[in-house]
Amino acid sequence: MPVIVLDHVVHRYGDTVALRDLSLTVAEGEVFSLLGHNGAGKTTTVRIVNGLLAPESGTVEVFGKSPLTDGADVRRRTAVLTESPTLDDRLTARETLRAFAEMYDVPSHTIAPKIDALLVEFGIAERGNDRVGGFSRGMKQRLSLARALVHDPDLLFLDEPTAGLDPAATQQLHQTVRQMARSRGRTVVLCTHNLIEAQALSDRVAVLGGGALLALGTPAELAHRMSPRLEVSIEIDPARHADAALLLASLDGLTVATERNGVLRVGGIPRERVPDIASRLVGHGIPLYRLDPHEPTLTDAYFALQQAGGGIT
Amino acid sequence: MNRRIIAAIVRKDLRVVRRSRALMTPLIVLPVLLMIVFPTVFTYLPRMMGGARESFAEMFRNLPDPVKRQFGEFTQATWIRVVHTQMLAPLMLLVPFMVANVIAADGFAGERERKTLEPLLYTPATDAELFVAKLLAAWIPAVMIAFGGAFVYAVIVNVTAWPVMQRVFFPDITWVVMVLWMAPAFAALGLAGMLLVSLRVRGMQEATQLGGLFVLPVIALVVGEVRGAILLGPFKAVAIGVLVWAIAGALLAFGIGRFKRTTLVGKL
Repeated sequence: MPVIVLDHVVHRYGDTVALRDLSLTVAEGEVFSLLGHNGAGKTTTVRIVNGLLAPESGTVEVFGKSPLTDGADVRRRTAVLTESPTLDDRLTARETLRAFAEMYDVPSHTIAPKIDALLVEFGIAERGNDRVGGFSRGMKQRLSLARALVHDPDLLFLDEPTAGLDPAATQQLHQTVRQMARSRGRTVVLCTHNLIEAQALSDRVAVLGGGALLALGTPAELAHRMSPRLEVSIEIDPARHADAALLLASLDGLTVATERNGVLRVGGIPRERVPDIASRLVGHGIPLYRLDPHEPTLTDAYFALQQAGGGIT
Repeated sequence: MNRRIIAAIVRKDLRVVRRSRALMTPLIVLPVLLMIVFPTVFTYLPRMMGGARESFAEMFRNLPDPVKRQFGEFTQATWIRVVHTQMLAPLMLLVPFMVANVIAADGFAGERERKTLEPLLYTPATDAELFVAKLLAAWIPAVMIAFGGAFVYAVIVNVTAWPVMQRVFFPDITWVVMVLWMAPAFAALGLAGMLLVSLRVRGMQEATQLGGLFVLPVIALVVGEVRGAILLGPFKAVAIGVLVWAIAGALLAFGIGRFKRTTLVGKL
């Protein structure tokens, strides 16, 4: 059952079109990434889904309800980690979490243990009674995430969640996201510029450009769709490089470039021709030490999409 | 209306205000000045300036006729009554106005400036609950400080004037009406004015500058009272209170129509 349904949503800020006829669904328990440059429409989408903005046209449903007419019900089940840690410097970490737990109507008797657990989970237990103003950027980001989780949301929006986090905290956040989706059945919507992060965490991604949906699918689907040909590293006896390069160059559509350390890098290879290349090299008596195909990444697909600027869904 | 959500926002806002030196300084200085320093100094002034009694008599003779008619011949007791019931009493209304004004500026424009408004908009609080919480967070402390300050003012006036008056002469009925009826109304006016301004501006500084303009009715009242143009009695105090409540109510009704997430988020 879809948790979020956007159907032909259009939104403008004055004369600027922020979302152009955006339609997509996010399924329950899915980690879904919204990718796009600044101004692509990611934050606008999050705000519309949470009832902070009214779309000019189109319909939005979250948990089967309209965020505009049933906003309180929708927001009770969602949480948003904003891009910058929007915390009040004059409150302590514990006061921050308590205030938001109460605003989300968390039962009183569960608030204190919940806060303790979150402070421990995010490594800020020792600073729980300190004012947030003295926290580092990373600590603030961790506290923001703890705040977002204080009411156990069913749907979590993370806007650039690892900005300002050190590698250890980033890894912890990735684990939290995976755990939320896999073991707790929560839905996570990730808005990010970090394509490696999106590829590692997401079940599906939507690439936005200029408010329009450029592509939608799993990271692997998008990568293969945008880069159907592989690049292969071939390690052979350096003395036979010239022979190998000549042989590979004679094959249609292949581009050969010599790489460092005696490794040839060959591009433009359709996946089904990889075995053929190996057998041809061996057939010409060229000793093959290693053949390593590089899978296209979401990063390749993303830049191809943004360059094309066209819609592939 | 979810009272728990409202209470949580009010508590959070008040805690934030309490911890801001920039906000607390005017919130402490103004009541102390108007409700402790002024009554003390003005009570003792003729006695401290014993040789200048004739100067005070002259000042009294220059007061508007309606004031003189109300208070009779100049004596030290007359001076005390004029100062505390005529000149200083309306100034007390500045306290709830300013407290509400300053806290509302922090709660609306300040919160937006600190970028802490956005997470509030993502909570399940409805627009109405957010609005009510923000109003109460400014109005309750303003009224509490006004009531507390009025009590302190009454005690100080009676204690310092005791050697002359030899009785508890203050508060009179007009002042009781002023405190219990007009002070909450002026607090409402202060925050309603600030609300309207905050919906239009982005920063705290702009908000306090423009919102301060709503103090003009209070100044007009003080001047009118001192000049003898108003001469507050209990009925006039009730009537002015009704007028201020009506203006504040109209401004708040106008404001609640514009206090919507979809509008506020555009200013983030």
